[in-house]
Amino acid sequence: MRNGTDRLRALNVPQRVQVELDEQRRPRVVKREAGNEKRVESFGENWRMDDEWWRQPIVRRYVEVVLEGGGRVVLFEDLITGEWFVQMPT
Amino acid sequence: MTLTPHLASDAAACCWIPLFALRSELARRPELVSLPVALLAPDTAHTPRVWQVAPLARRAGVKPGMTVSQAIGLCPGLKLCEPDPVHYDEQFARLVAALVTVSPVVEPVEVGRVFVGTDGLEGLYGAPEGIVEAIQMRSAECGMRNVLNAECGMRNAECKGKRREANDPSLKFRTPHSEFRIGWGRGKFVAWVAATRAKPGEAVIVPVGGEAKFLASQPLAVLPLDPDTHRRLLQLGVKTLGALVALPEEAVVSQYGHAGRRLWRLAAGLVSEPVVGRVVPEPIVAALTFFSSVGERDLLAHALDKLVDRALGDPRRSGWRVQVVRVHAELEHGASWLVEATLKDPSATRERIAAPLKTQLERSPPAGAVERLVVEFTAFAPGTAELQLFARDAGAAARAGRRRALQSAVREIALRIRRPMLYHIIEVQPWSRLPERRYALIDFET
Repeated sequence: MRNGTDRLRALNVPQRVQVELDEQRRPRVVKREAGNEKRVESFGENWRMDDEWWRQPIVRRYVEVVLEGGGRVVLFEDLITGEWFVQMPT
Repeated sequence: MTLTPHLASDAAACCWIPLFALRSELARRPELVSLPVALLAPDTAHTPRVWQVAPLARRAGVKPGMTVSQAIGLCPGLKLCEPDPVHYDEQFARLVAALVTVSPVVEPVEVGRVFVGTDGLEGLYGAPEGIVEAIQMRSAECGMRNVLNAECGMRNAECKGKRREANDPSLKFRTPHSEFRIGWGRGKFVAWVAATRAKPGEAVIVPVGGEAKFLASQPLAVLPLDPDTHRRLLQLGVKTLGALVALPEEAVVSQYGHAGRRLWRLAAGLVSEPVVGRVVPEPIVAALTFFSSVGERDLLAHALDKLVDRALGDPRRSGWRVQVVRVHAELEHGASWLVEATLKDPSATRERIAAPLKTQLERSPPAGAVERLVVEFTAFAPGTAELQLFARDAGAAARAGRRRALQSAVREIALRIRRPMLYHIIEVQPWSRLPERRYALIDFET
């Protein structure tokens, strides 16, 4: 039997991506891996989230986008590390 | 099987097997016995919660009502089992059917707890000690030894203890290696409290007239109290039924109203709720006359299914499982055909009832074409509250059926590909602002 930590698998874990930004610091191109990049076709809502300031602060800037091909995803920038991630919209 | 107009009894024996569902599961899957195991609740498909917890898991802090993530957080090695209420109900129905052979007055309350009315049994078994012994013997003979002896992850130290003589008016008996506990007394409340005081395999008998003395030392928790009343009484320093009874009845009534009066009287041993059995239904008959005589076995089997369905739908059958089913056919030229099946496990599902009849139809079919087919349920076994739920609530029955089908599919997949591929989605922190913390996957285990 596996132990408890491998038994629970979080759903909708953010995937790290490379993002090219436009002059307004909005994502223009999203690269998941080499050769797999998609242009952002339109923007939806954007919001900021500050959480868990009492232990390991989490500060994110979210933006909802539609990629070329029609895929709707949520991108966020970790404002502490500067890294970008993609997540499925909820 | 007799038809009795008033099946009630003041003298009551409460038979109690704690964690009955979990024990049934462990009896079926002995490989789990030495593991920390918990059973998930049957009615919480969207947010699975822990229902019954084996002692090993309880030692790690797992408690009933916890979410799966909380439970696994406390006990990483926890083995979670999907519940199979139909199976537990079937197991319990066997026990109840065995108890009906001791007394016709049997009142199942929930899976694992049943009252047996014992008025008038003195002539057969003598004193309450003899009645209790008869109940213990019949329960041991009902083929549930595995369930009654399932260890739930540890052999309770109490089981190894020596027989203790009672210091209070109650007497204790012991059946080694059994989880079956019996309490005997006047009225259901006294019998139930006595059963909760009995150690595994033992019985506690409260002699008539000794109720107040027996109850006085019992903790307040044995009363059917809501948590708020329980807390308020504890804050007032009332910790035992004796302390409650020491208060003037009117004072308790002025604080807690009508419910307070009932609690005070229960605590004083003044309330004696009788065990109420149910009148066994008369035979239920469903018949079908064919337009033209039928000789094809497929058609007859189909007609059997329809008739069993129709008989099961009879409102008199609600709350009862079928134990004996009989089919007779009127054949061409005045001949007849008759088969009877006694179900080892009384059932309320068409497939199980019709299966032995169809087998007999294949083995020894009618000698001619059938003009009229009659299905008759002639003997019944009492069901439980869950059984009544299944019988009355088609939705619950359908859910149980789907769960069984799913479990069977999962077993097949696991056998074929030898690794888990199916998961439950469970809520971890559904309130979290971080989407990745809200839900998680956990192996779907049968």
